[in-house]
Amino acid sequence: MKINKFVLLLLLGVGLAPVSQAQIKHVEMRVEGMT
Amino acid sequence: MQQHLQRQSGVQKAEVSLRDGTVQITPKEDGQIDPAQLLKATYDSGVTVAEMDVTAEGRVVKDPSGTLSFQVEPNRSWVITPNDQSQSLAPLAGTPSKITVTGQLYLKSGKKKADPKVPLKLLITQIQKNEQKKE
Repeated sequence: MKINKFVLLLLLGVGLAPVSQAQIKHVEMRVEGMT
Repeated sequence: MQQHLQRQSGVQKAEVSLRDGTVQITPKEDGQIDPAQLLKATYDSGVTVAEMDVTAEGRVVKDPSGTLSFQVEPNRSWVITPNDQSQSLAPLAGTPSKITVTGQLYLKSGKKKADPKVPLKLLITQIQKNEQKKE
């Protein structure tokens, strides 16, 4: 039973890992009125 | 403005170039950055945003009406403004393929300020990487 839970957690971790990486890599803004 | 932007959620670094009139924002590695929030934060600093470009990784999804969107996070996607680049992405809609694109999220029109209630749309200018292509 404990092994089943461990395997389930491991699979969840593998599945969620890519989601935690930044999807937005860079943002650039051109601005006006900056002094 | 630099400090104000750096305090925004998910921002690792904000670099302001007075000479070029540009602001470069680098998200944190696990950053859940919100471009609409950055737009608002910049306006709050007393500066007008003329244009906002973004480079992001995500998937192409199509809604029931056939509109293509670029999904960067499960709860964040932008409607893709149709152009030549977006047409080439249409076959990827609904597939798990992740691609990296660069595009324009906001362009100031006339003297109007950005309305935070209007959702941002993505005009793709460059497709950088397509994971489906294997050489």
